[in-house]
Amino acid sequence: MKKKAVLMFTILFVFAMALSGCNSSSSSSGSSKNEILFWNPFTGPDGENMKQIVDEYNKTNPEFKVKNLSIAEGDMYTKIPTVVNSGKGIPDLTIVHAERIKQFVDNDMLTPYDDLLADYPEIKAENYVPAGWNIGDIDGSRYSVPLDVHSFVMYYNKELLEKYAPNALDDNVITFDEIREAGERSKKDGITGFGLTWTRPIFLSIYNQLGGDITSDGETPTLNTPEAKEALELIKGLVDDKIANKDGEDPGQLFQSGKAIFYPEGIWMQNGLNEAKNLNWGLTNFPQISPDNIVNWTSSHQFVMFKDENRSEEKTKGMMDFLDYVRQHSLPWAKAGQNPAALETLEDSEYKEMPQSFLVEDPELQKSLKIFDYKYNGFVVEEIDKLVGDAAFGKLDIDEGLEKAQKAIEDKIATNKK
Amino acid sequence: MISLIFLLFMAFIWLVPLLYTFLTTFKNESDIQSNPFTILPINWVIGNYQDVLFENTSAPVAKWFMNSLIISVSQTVLVLVIVSFAGYGYSRMKFKGRDAIFIFLMATMMFPAVVNLIPLYKIIDTLGWVNSYFAAIVPGAAGVFNIFLVRQFMQGIPKDFDESARVDGASEFQIFTKLILPLIRPVLTVVALFTFTGSWNDFLWPSIVFNDIEKMPITPGLQLLQGMYALDIAHALTGALIAIVPTFILYLFTQKYFMESLSLSSGVKG
Amino acid sequence: MMINTGENKEVNMSSVMVGKSNKKRLNLSPYLYIGPHLILFAVFFLFPTLYGVYISFTNWDLIGDPEFVGLANYTEILLNQDSTFYEQLRIGLGNTFKFVIFTVPFCIIVPLFLAAGLNTKPKGMKFFQALFYMPSLFSVSAVMIIFAMLFSVSFGPINHYLNVDTNWLSTQPYAWVTLVIVTVWWTIGANMIIYQAALNGISKDLYEAASIDGANNVQKFFKITLPSIRAQILYTVVITTIAQFNVYGQPLMLTKGGPTSSTTVLLMYIQENAFGSGISIAGIGAAMAVILGICIMVVSAIQFFFLRQRD
Repeated sequence: MKKKAVLMFTILFVFAMALSGCNSSSSSSGSSKNEILFWNPFTGPDGENMKQIVDEYNKTNPEFKVKNLSIAEGDMYTKIPTVVNSGKGIPDLTIVHAERIKQFVDNDMLTPYDDLLADYPEIKAENYVPAGWNIGDIDGSRYSVPLDVHSFVMYYNKELLEKYAPNALDDNVITFDEIREAGERSKKDGITGFGLTWTRPIFLSIYNQLGGDITSDGETPTLNTPEAKEALELIKGLVDDKIANKDGEDPGQLFQSGKAIFYPEGIWMQNGLNEAKNLNWGLTNFPQISPDNIVNWTSSHQFVMFKDENRSEEKTKGMMDFLDYVRQHSLPWAKAGQNPAALETLEDSEYKEMPQSFLVEDPELQKSLKIFDYKYNGFVVEEIDKLVGDAAFGKLDIDEGLEKAQKAIEDKIATNKK
Repeated sequence: MISLIFLLFMAFIWLVPLLYTFLTTFKNESDIQSNPFTILPINWVIGNYQDVLFENTSAPVAKWFMNSLIISVSQTVLVLVIVSFAGYGYSRMKFKGRDAIFIFLMATMMFPAVVNLIPLYKIIDTLGWVNSYFAAIVPGAAGVFNIFLVRQFMQGIPKDFDESARVDGASEFQIFTKLILPLIRPVLTVVALFTFTGSWNDFLWPSIVFNDIEKMPITPGLQLLQGMYALDIAHALTGALIAIVPTFILYLFTQKYFMESLSLSSGVKG
Repeated sequence: MMINTGENKEVNMSSVMVGKSNKKRLNLSPYLYIGPHLILFAVFFLFPTLYGVYISFTNWDLIGDPEFVGLANYTEILLNQDSTFYEQLRIGLGNTFKFVIFTVPFCIIVPLFLAAGLNTKPKGMKFFQALFYMPSLFSVSAVMIIFAMLFSVSFGPINHYLNVDTNWLSTQPYAWVTLVIVTVWWTIGANMIIYQAALNGISKDLYEAASIDGANNVQKFFKITLPSIRAQILYTVVITTIAQFNVYGQPLMLTKGGPTSSTTVLLMYIQENAFGSGISIAGIGAAMAVILGICIMVVSAIQFFFLRQRD
């Protein structure tokens, strides 16, 4: 009879599930005794590169092998509080974005590295890019070790640059004025000058170039400022004068099909660009207002350790061992289009040939890497994401927009503090 | 006939995006960039399919497929059993508070499931089900809307049928299994189809519950895949098309079952 | 039903007798039927929902412990006109209601007509059926990619072949038009199937009798077809409305909530507050979710009242 069959089927399935469920859950969610559970948000193509580093490390037969788990970024940050609170299955080593670390420190979720660094003298300021290393220094303790510094810069079409702005790159910096000139010439030929891509870092870099920042003292947000208005007006100007692409146009498509000269994007996008045929691209700093004050918006992936009372001292030492290994073997990470924070990577000629390494090679340029690690960064960027696009395409009044955004950020902070 | 013209017109509208999707999966990515308008591929390639299906290290599509199969089939079976019993209970049986309980169930389902996620995850964690199939299968059977659907269909069956069976000495269980169940086979088929499809397409919950990439079902897995092909439309659409194959096949199989007429009105004789 | 009174009397007696002796059994068995579901429901749905409601009375960042604040969140979003969150609720709820009003009628009428058309069993019926149903099998992100491409301003086939320049995704009223078109294309498959199953169950005799009485097709539709599938129409109206109140993926991915927040629905603000990039403001998010839930309940109750089976 049909019903009986269904019932039996269910029972069989439940048994099958119970068996497979038991097997699998024991082996993966928690960390076993001599495994370092490593969580990271690298679910894109760069996940392969991190996997490579982990595999190579495990091949050296360390006492504690690393178990690599890539989780989608949004999910990872949602799971972290729940897991840390539950006390079970806490990851040993985790990669988080630099901007989030202060939150974790405020909520007392991280184990500091201070006592552990004594045994690993090479993990020190001199061996890392300053912008990345400084992030981990909070309230006098070290809470994170940097993996990389990834900047938002600018790609350009080599042929189109030759044609419309042949001397712009002579000083290795392209200014907005030079972009405007090129755009004026190119628009007659139907070529867009400047692609308006991810508005967040575009705005933040220009804002900082003008001397603005998203916080004045690390507590108070400062978005509604004259510098912010100037930054927005600059971007809007590019749109109004048809230097930048139209509303709704996809700058990525324009650039890849050879219809745009300048394409601001992150260094991590370069492997994606290689898919485009017939595109001869170059990489340089993000456009600047003046070559004397270079600002490249940067973020950074950092290694942190969430508190876990069950983690043994030996395992923690094993984790430090892995970190030191990464410091010396970051080349695969560079191949993902990243800039490893470990300066030792510069000794590798293969890395020096990569387009993005120029940011790290020159100590002067290292200073241009600006990481916005204000502790309420999240609230600020949520508003910026909504504001800049609308402002650029003239859909709202800039003064009003900035006022509203500032208020929204303040309200969110206030509610959180209550 | 008017209906045919109407259907043809609507069919054309429906077809355009589907055709576009299908044809794009055979296009070369760079061709799409340089010639985005063209409907037909300039160069027909099957590379996209090869990449998606056989690129197996960080995107084990075959494994995801199996995971989805196990999860969706299990959930469908579970739901069918639970929903038939419960639907019968709320529509046919009399007990105190029957309608009140049902209304309460419906009312609770109306809350957006957003903030439930955290406590639900905690419960799963407590049960030790994180990263296991159970987490993906069981909570889905707690839904009320399928019961609502079954109940609505059962309302359409005249109560006289039950009465005459009771007269013949049938027990509640027998009425349920021998009389009502066969009559609602069409709607149960619909429930099976919807549950399977819903389970197959669910990506928010599985991506929270599964940490291991290997254990993910196919829809969240393909989401990750999309992340890998950041600027890549052809691959993303290829993945999407592959993902609907099983649910589509299930649909084709079940088509004839829910088209069966509920032979109620024709069978009412003493 | 052909039962004569004699039999009827007997039936009454025996059911009463049966009732008396089985009274204890009858009391237990309904619970066996609804029990399994109720247990699952309590554990996996009721408890998390109640917890979610509890969160709305607290201030919680998901990391530490929730801190009870009573009605503070509700007063903030409902009464404090100065507050950003009040704005969010106003804009978000307004847009959600707009979305429901724009899409639900199409999501009922279109599949109803399609099902009615298919019910005439035309040539190629199976093909039509599969075609209309297929979009509902795609995941939300797949659909968004497809339509983002189709409606793209400079690169989309639609603008190209219609020779227009419309910015479908970031200007009004096109943003709403696009959202409605995409939603209908994507979701009507399920309702269509339900209507088909329902229409199939209507006896042909009823239609024949009406023809004999001289009714035309339109009259048959309104006087026979619609009333016969009233139960299913109620179901689809309620479920579709609930589903569209919960809209999230389409405005997020297709129009990005723009232009200027004109398509930002409440669920997007809820997500932003509870799971945003910044520190979580789960209490406010939960309070908004509760308000949304109450709206859905009220609307559904009204629908039930007007469409219920009067037996």
